[in-house]
Amino acid sequence: MARVFYPLQHFDPTPTQFQLLPFRFMRFEEKELLVNEAGEFLFTPSGTVRNLVDGSLETNSVLYRDLKAKHLVYDDTSSALLDVLATKVRTKFDHITGGTKLHIFVVTLRCDHSCHYCQVSRQSASRAQFDMSTSTADRAIAMMMDSPAQDVTLEIQGGEPLLAFEMIQYIVTKAKPLALEKGKNLDIVVCSNLSHITDDILHYFRDEGIKVSTSLDGPAFLHNKNRPRPGNDSYQRAIDGIERCRAVLRMERVAALMTTTAASLDYVTEIVDEYVRRNFHSIFLRPISPYGFAVKTHRKIGYEMERFLKFYKDGLKHILDINRGGYRIAEVYTQILLTKILTPHSTRYVDMQSPAGEAWNVLVYNYDGDVYASDESRMLAEMNDRTFRLGNVHSDTRRSLFTSDAALRMFHAACNQALVGCSDCAFQSYCAADPIYHHATQGDMYGNRPTSGFCMRNMSVLKHLFSIIEQNDRDTMRVLWSWITGTTAHGPATECA
Amino acid sequence: MDANSRAAAPIEVEISLSIISAEALLKTCYWFSRDYVCEIRNRDENVADVFLTSRDSSSGSDPSSIKDSFITAAMDFALREKIEAKTSGIRDLLLAKAFSEAGVLEDQPEGIFGDKIEEANPEGMFKILNNRYR
Repeated sequence: MARVFYPLQHFDPTPTQFQLLPFRFMRFEEKELLVNEAGEFLFTPSGTVRNLVDGSLETNSVLYRDLKAKHLVYDDTSSALLDVLATKVRTKFDHITGGTKLHIFVVTLRCDHSCHYCQVSRQSASRAQFDMSTSTADRAIAMMMDSPAQDVTLEIQGGEPLLAFEMIQYIVTKAKPLALEKGKNLDIVVCSNLSHITDDILHYFRDEGIKVSTSLDGPAFLHNKNRPRPGNDSYQRAIDGIERCRAVLRMERVAALMTTTAASLDYVTEIVDEYVRRNFHSIFLRPISPYGFAVKTHRKIGYEMERFLKFYKDGLKHILDINRGGYRIAEVYTQILLTKILTPHSTRYVDMQSPAGEAWNVLVYNYDGDVYASDESRMLAEMNDRTFRLGNVHSDTRRSLFTSDAALRMFHAACNQALVGCSDCAFQSYCAADPIYHHATQGDMYGNRPTSGFCMRNMSVLKHLFSIIEQNDRDTMRVLWSWITGTTAHGPATECA
Repeated sequence: MDANSRAAAPIEVEISLSIISAEALLKTCYWFSRDYVCEIRNRDENVADVFLTSRDSSSGSDPSSIKDSFITAAMDFALREKIEAKTSGIRDLLLAKAFSEAGVLEDQPEGIFGDKIEEANPEGMFKILNNRYR
């Protein structure tokens, strides 16, 4: 029996009509940027959206095939593969599954530094009444273990937590066996300025597998200006501490974060170079937080968002140049946003999640047992604004924290999908709601997007990144992909050291 | 004084409400509200006049350029309304399907896709198969 193929048109039929799948769009330079519900995007010629809406787009064009491939249209010759698209959407929202992962323990408010931008109401180093008690620690640990999350991170901070080192030991000793009993993977991080690090503490961290996160704001003149302490030696103590930590702990177990202040804005090159000189392989060009003391001294610290954006863009350019030169260093904010833009995945960075990650993905247990939706919520409370105080470890359960009036009010404003200004935005899939930021800066959790610093920053940064993507320079994209995938620009990464 | 008066003079934009809905117009004004006070006056059932007064009296922006930007933004919001009208059903189904499989919904979504093309194609892949995850 002779076998014949079906006619050619059977394999390549031209559809006669098409239907739209949900998407958002914006004008982007001379083009249009279309983004579907799962965050997949396509640059199209100007006028494409109108042609799609009125049904006049040519169905035998390359553009039409691209639109179909990106789940922006479907037709009678194809399926929209709703299951596939639903899977992509679910993957993008993966951050809402699994329960609270990050648990921050504020073991003391005591600190030896007096930073202008300090995000807590620091207390002098001798006032032990601002330390966490063992009974509070016990209850906080129990709440952390009540989280359904399989992987939990215990972040110990202050104040300066090393001033309450005995409490760190107590918490670690209590939490580890409980995690084992509950079958949880427990990651422990201590956030310290390292000015009080000792060999005994370091050996303890090494033996217990504890990671260290510290602050490095740039070269000595800048770091010491941002972080005053008696002796004006914060920078030297931080550098010495970093080196000692690296000598005892493994290289990748020591991380540094920088805080941007008005004083930083003219020195992004110097800041990046300091991180390279200190052999770090990531840097987070963070804007200053509007919380805590930063609000009180806004005039002193304050700077305009435009200045920060220039700082960010200049910094990113310099970092990319360094990478092209062969040294791998990733800018973390870019890395987070590009992961959202270029991969199906979400990220663990709670400040850029919708529904908002506050409470849902992070809980803060203050030294006095009060529980907050985020570290920023606690900073507000230190300024007598307890809007985001969910409860107290001694009088609440995990369930009562999440059904508290404070939590429910916040959850109402936690989805950018349902916020004025965000619901139509092409960047919605990559951005967030951040009700706490908007409460702190605008007195309204829902926020007014046209005047929101959060919106202005993210819109500008996202446009900048999409502009880079659209230019599609091979060397630049190779570097950016290496940040997302954790490989070097020339091949798989081995160790950051 | 004259310069300030000229800078403060509102820019007038005529909007056809048969093309751009009141909702699309309000969304446009929302985004322009950072830089302009937006006053909307209905001339009649079909036409609205929008008066844009700059919040910055020293702003030297070209009025015709601002007018163009406003109309372009309004047209874009009108397009978004049309996209939403055409896709809201499948969007709801998509999200329901995504989260039902994540196990966070108390009730599984029921029914078929309900699209014209799919209704004519009963063997298509859009069906949620009899709440199979129950």
